[in-house]
Amino acid sequence: MTPRLITGIGFANALGVGGADALFAAMRDAEAPLPSRPLVSFDASKYANVAALEVPDFEPKKWLGDKGLRVLDRLTKLLVVAARVSLADAGLKADGAWTTSAGDRVGICCSNAYGSLEAITELNRVAKLEDARYINPAKFPNTVANSGPGYVSIWEDLRALNVTVSDGNCGGLDAFTCADIFLEAQRADQILTGGGEAMSEALYLAFCKLGALDPTATTAETGATNGVRLGEGAALLCLETARSAEARGARVLARVTGFGTSFVAPEADSSLLTFSREATARAIRSALDDAGVAPADVDVVSSGLCGIEALDRTELSAIDDVLGPDVAVATPKALIGETLGAGGAMGVAVACGWLAGVQPKPVAQGKAPEKVDTVLVTSVGYYGNTSAIVVQRA
Amino acid sequence: MITGVGVVSSIGLGREAFYAALAEGKSGITPVEGFDAAALGREYAGQVKAFNPKDHLTAAENRRMGRCSQMALAAARMAIEDAGATPETLRGPRTAVVIGTTMGEADVLEDLDHAWIARGPSGVKRAMIPKYGSTLLPIHIARACGAEGLVLTLPAACAAGNYAIGFAADLIRAGRADVVVTGAAEMLQELQFSGFVRLAAMSPLRCQPFDLNRQGLIIGEGAGVVVLESEAHAAKRGAEPLAEIGGHGMTCDAYHITRPHPEATGSTLAVRQAIERSGISPDAIDFVNAHGTGTRANDAAEAKVMRDIFGDRRVPISSMKSMLGHTMGAASAIEAIACVMTLQRGIYPPTIGYETPDPECDLDVVANEARAGRAEVVLNNSLAFGGYNSVIVLAKPFVLPPPHDLTGKAA
Repeated sequence: MTPRLITGIGFANALGVGGADALFAAMRDAEAPLPSRPLVSFDASKYANVAALEVPDFEPKKWLGDKGLRVLDRLTKLLVVAARVSLADAGLKADGAWTTSAGDRVGICCSNAYGSLEAITELNRVAKLEDARYINPAKFPNTVANSGPGYVSIWEDLRALNVTVSDGNCGGLDAFTCADIFLEAQRADQILTGGGEAMSEALYLAFCKLGALDPTATTAETGATNGVRLGEGAALLCLETARSAEARGARVLARVTGFGTSFVAPEADSSLLTFSREATARAIRSALDDAGVAPADVDVVSSGLCGIEALDRTELSAIDDVLGPDVAVATPKALIGETLGAGGAMGVAVACGWLAGVQPKPVAQGKAPEKVDTVLVTSVGYYGNTSAIVVQRA
Repeated sequence: MITGVGVVSSIGLGREAFYAALAEGKSGITPVEGFDAAALGREYAGQVKAFNPKDHLTAAENRRMGRCSQMALAAARMAIEDAGATPETLRGPRTAVVIGTTMGEADVLEDLDHAWIARGPSGVKRAMIPKYGSTLLPIHIARACGAEGLVLTLPAACAAGNYAIGFAADLIRAGRADVVVTGAAEMLQELQFSGFVRLAAMSPLRCQPFDLNRQGLIIGEGAGVVVLESEAHAAKRGAEPLAEIGGHGMTCDAYHITRPHPEATGSTLAVRQAIERSGISPDAIDFVNAHGTGTRANDAAEAKVMRDIFGDRRVPISSMKSMLGHTMGAASAIEAIACVMTLQRGIYPPTIGYETPDPECDLDVVANEARAGRAEVVLNNSLAFGGYNSVIVLAKPFVLPPPHDLTGKAA
């Protein structure tokens, strides 16, 4: 692919809320793995295991003011905050006003896996326990998965394309491949690219029932866990062409140079869930080919390792197949938790920090070099879908 | 190039039944079955009643998916067969699946939620959980058709069909895929139904786009899927192209989460982009498939867009939502297939129930009966809630000026 430049970051996750510098500082200072905290976004007292990594002390008012927040769901608030910070971080806006670009040339391409879950569940509850005629019409738009990015456009005046992508855990990386194509097609000059996922009781219950949550609520030193620690958050990175970044004299954090994706179906007709080593290896190979990067040039992998043993084994085997057993494999989810549709974007944001000199941690395998130039970011889905992208020093 | 189409709709299953129903102006709007719609204040919807998943899917497939995926997969199978392809010929990393929807597997989540509400966490069945997620629509199709490339869902409210097909065309033009099985699906569901009633957007009996006395939309369900492939890939396997996807215009109003922008600037720009990216002028457009939801605001805004684009030229325009209701995420995909029929057979499908012209919508509406006419290049409008504007040009194969890069400029 033609390299695309990352010129700004807006994030809200377990490490805090802010732009590139805030993220890199938080990564540097964080205890790795980050200790779990008690859940606050819903009453979790009826669940035995409450290991989770929410956005600490998330106060949308601080970033967005008092007005208009009432009808927004948690995901939308996370996304609008991340978008606002990213636009400022990229220098596209100053004090809320456009600087060199205009809203009709700026778009958003944003992933979520279960974006409308909280809203639908809330309205289903009203419909079932009270009466369907009482559901709040102002909250009905939140039942579509693209409503979060829709509100971002309204709040931030983004009038070029507005695209929501959904590919489970892989969507956060797929958003970059979609944005790359949209930039190539000149549909926008800058695209806020990434993903978001919000903590909700429905999501927590689902992982709990699946037996996927870490029963010890603690983590080993490597960051490898005995199960998933659910996280939440949003990461929106400003992606643009080299020409556009140069023209406006933008600070460049990293280059996205290659993308790969693959799907391999489970063999058994009755299966739905599957983790594919073959698909993962294939996605990694195509990303490296696309970037023109040799396996030996990868300094560290920003992996999707999440604490589900079968998934982690699959991913490590595939990384081994392509990059060999010695490559450094870091586990951003030990700092951020499992953010599903946002996971890949979090992995890219963290990779920008490593390129800026923050030492990768925690590392589950191998040893990261002092200076990181090339990062492979991987995401393994639950259904045989996988994606990978290559992020390099600018 | 579109080489095959598949459709599950309230007026017919499969290409021929659907085409015949469109040409007849058949209505698929009937009293709702399955939940007590009357108690919610409205009784009618474009419900797909003739669809039996067992006719299209294996028992194992049916077990692992909800109704939305069932309709999507059935439509995909029809499209692949229509394209003269098989899972064996499509198998590999150069085949992708891109599907649009708004709420995806809504029935699966409804069952999960209801079990949770009635019996607490212990009432939720573990095996049901992985069946939920709009992510699954393309996964199920990829499994069935051998696709090993990108599997992506594009949730874009009621513009999802055009989003998916337009992005699929971009994916091929960018050289990222040779074949994309693409389209959209949506199922009728109680929560969504009551939501539209609560938004005061629903008409009691009929959907009458552009009519002076229109009373809103009628919601519907269905799936439309096409096989889209590069010209070279189609030629290599000897497939006959049915239509070409031309330019795709995408903009966002950034105005209001349900109301269209009163000046319709975003939607006008999307139409302009679609036409320019096809390398043509507005004069080349023979027919417009309208978004035409039957709400006062949408139809008036769309009429303004048409005037801004075409000036005094009255291009024939029609809204199939009068027959199918608004199938939401699926709408523009099903309508894209109707556009393929128009291109192939020179028939403009009618807007049924059109009785009283609205001066605010001063358009050449194809009223009540199908009309024969020139159909070399058509426009498919999708101007969704949230200001999601997505407009696609479809043309007879090899009519648009070749060749184009991703920006629509001559390569």
